Amino acid sequence: MNRFEPKIVAFLCNFCSYEGADRAGSSKLEVPPNIRSIRVMCSGRVEPEMVIEALTNGADGVLILGCHPGDCHFKEGNYKTLRRHSLLLRMLREFGIEPKRVRLDWVSASEGQKFAEVTNEMTEIVRSLGPLELTACR
Amino acid sequence: MAEKTGVFFCRCGSIITEKVDEDAVLTAVRDTGDVAITLQHNLLCSPDGKKWLAEQIRENNLDSVVVAACSPKQHEKTFMEVLENAGLNPFMLQMANIREQCAWMTTERESATKKAIAYIRAAIRRVRRHEPLGKKEIIANPNVLIIGAGIAGITAAQNFSRAGRKVYLVEKEPYIGGIVARFEEVYPSMECAPCMMAAMLQDVLQDKNIEVFTYSEVEKVKGFLGNFTAIIKKKAKSVTDACLGCGECFPVCPVSVPNKFDEGLSDRKAIYSPFAGALPNIPVIDREICLQFNNQDCSKCEEACPLMAIDFAQQDESVEVQVGGVVLATGSDIYDAKAIENLHYGEIPEIYTSMEFERLIASNGPTGGEITMKNGEKPKSIALIHCVGSRDPKYNDYCSGVCCLYNFKFARVISEKIPEAEIHSFYKDLCLPGKLGQNFADETLPKIGLVQFEEDIETAATGKGVKLTYKEKNGKKKKITVDMVVLSPAMVPSKDTDKLAGLFDIEIDERGFFAEDDQLLNPFTSSIEGIKVIGTAQGPKGINESVSQAAGAAGHLLSRLVPGQLLEIESKTTVIDEDLCGGCKVCISLCPYSAIDYDIEKAISVVNDVLCKGCGTCAAACPSGAAKAKHFTHEQIHAEIMEVI
Repeated sequence: MNRFEPKIVAFLCNFCSYEGADRAGSSKLEVPPNIRSIRVMCSGRVEPEMVIEALTNGADGVLILGCHPGDCHFKEGNYKTLRRHSLLLRMLREFGIEPKRVRLDWVSASEGQKFAEVTNEMTEIVRSLGPLELTACR
Repeated sequence: MAEKTGVFFCRCGSIITEKVDEDAVLTAVRDTGDVAITLQHNLLCSPDGKKWLAEQIRENNLDSVVVAACSPKQHEKTFMEVLENAGLNPFMLQMANIREQCAWMTTERESATKKAIAYIRAAIRRVRRHEPLGKKEIIANPNVLIIGAGIAGITAAQNFSRAGRKVYLVEKEPYIGGIVARFEEVYPSMECAPCMMAAMLQDVLQDKNIEVFTYSEVEKVKGFLGNFTAIIKKKAKSVTDACLGCGECFPVCPVSVPNKFDEGLSDRKAIYSPFAGALPNIPVIDREICLQFNNQDCSKCEEACPLMAIDFAQQDESVEVQVGGVVLATGSDIYDAKAIENLHYGEIPEIYTSMEFERLIASNGPTGGEITMKNGEKPKSIALIHCVGSRDPKYNDYCSGVCCLYNFKFARVISEKIPEAEIHSFYKDLCLPGKLGQNFADETLPKIGLVQFEEDIETAATGKGVKLTYKEKNGKKKKITVDMVVLSPAMVPSKDTDKLAGLFDIEIDERGFFAEDDQLLNPFTSSIEGIKVIGTAQGPKGINESVSQAAGAAGHLLSRLVPGQLLEIESKTTVIDEDLCGGCKVCISLCPYSAIDYDIEKAISVVNDVLCKGCGTCAAACPSGAAKAKHFTHEQIHAEIMEVI
């Protein structure tokens, strides 16, 4: 039997994590093709609705990556993301979605290695959780 | 919505096609039926490639373009320029990153090809929802706001003024001149400090380009290099400009408090000038202690004033100014010697800090420049203790770099005023920087006994004076009794530093001073480009270094803020839809740039297009969907989501 290949949407902030992902590529580090990135100016731009939209339309997991706390290009956008994230996780539980399917982490522009690690870990976690079944939402 | 989209696949030599199956990608993209043309090129970023791309855009009358190539971090600007040259709005471009984030990070060819197709399809769907955006530019404001009218702030102000710039110079005290105004003589020239400053201070007050705000503070500031708005709060002085500074009001005032200018060694009245000769020569009324403002019936100063210059009804005033740059020259404090218990400073009357001693030797000080003890007698022996609360991780780990030299200055002044006095100088290590430091010390040495000590010195009051118990460098414990002790505490950040860092949103370093962008190459720029940090507010230093930093910072800002120069500002800002906004103000509290104001009449939030940097944090939080982050709209991101999964 083929192993399950999860679909994971990764929202990457323009000034740190998107560059971190580029760095992973230019360092020829292996990143699972399951990861599909979407560039936003700041992790603070990611609406919780976008995460829900991804999950309800076929994604099995969502990554939100921003600048490290204190290093946000927009001063404090990532703190807003952090605050929203904890609320979002509470809401996901209500929907019967495992909170592990949505991960917030920090990847700087130089952390290609970390980007590769986080994406590999995330893929493994979501793979072990299996496909997302949204019985509660339907 | 865009209708004629062209997709351009770049092989990047063969770097991309090594991992991505070009034919499979092009077929899949053509199959979507959504694009006008799908073409491939060997190297789109080459001169030939760019020329070809522009031709294709024109020939095919495209209204939107997808470039599937490297990361937008590499060549988004390049291809935006191509669009512009081809007569298309540069924002009608979307790049699909099939090199860094696809070909280079994927092992299997099949997976990389599938991922590339997903990214290109997402880009097509997104770009059709793009809207043309205009390039935005503002004219850089060439004027500056300087906070702190000490030697650094004043030097900077004069530099800007000479270049014809308008300067707003804000000083929280009622006088200008800063800490140097409190010194009698300065090393190494032993020049009279008030004389050295006098011409400078007069020039600043008479300079038409410099608007001086004494007894004032900056209350609010927002903006960026080239475009700051600040609100200056002018505290009510209760004395009008009709005042000529005759001083008739001082003796009649019934309220006295210790004078901070003299480190509390003298008293001042509720209406006061901190010292004779303070500039501007207009007293202020300290409303915290003035009887008139404490529900008591007193108007003695008003009665004594020959010019009717007293105005109890004067109000605080707020003034808004527009500038292109900000200079913080807010100075420093000395470390609180009371924190070092062994020294018993504050308990033993004949122990003074260096600042107190500066006032004691100043001819405009509490004793008229006579070095006298509390009992009125002249001391026969004085101990000068360097390195108080410095060079010691228990207190402050750094060397302030000025105390050794001002202690040698003290020694010279003492030996001039009381030639028979014994002078004992206690130091942990001597720091005599600069081309004149060593020579200045050498010429002073015959006048003093120099002792190198380690650990803390213990003091005790005895009937004969102050007994010092100390450990010499060689480990021997020794004692000495002197009439007077002068402590030289470390230079530390002023109490307002934290508050100012918060107000201006700049960083402070681990020792509490304003942090500099680069210690060696850019030591006077804060963590924000348009805000300079100079003088001792940035770190301990002497007058010459402060003045050099001031001139350096002024040069830096003058070269960036050229009159008439255009500054390009963010195009991808957020806009709030008037009809959808419910006026909840959530966005206002989230904006890191204070770029959103509340329009009371319309009861909605409004984005200041010049201040907005386009992070989109407000758009993500807007409950009614009124806040739209241009070029990163919900619709555009949604389109991408739907294609990548």
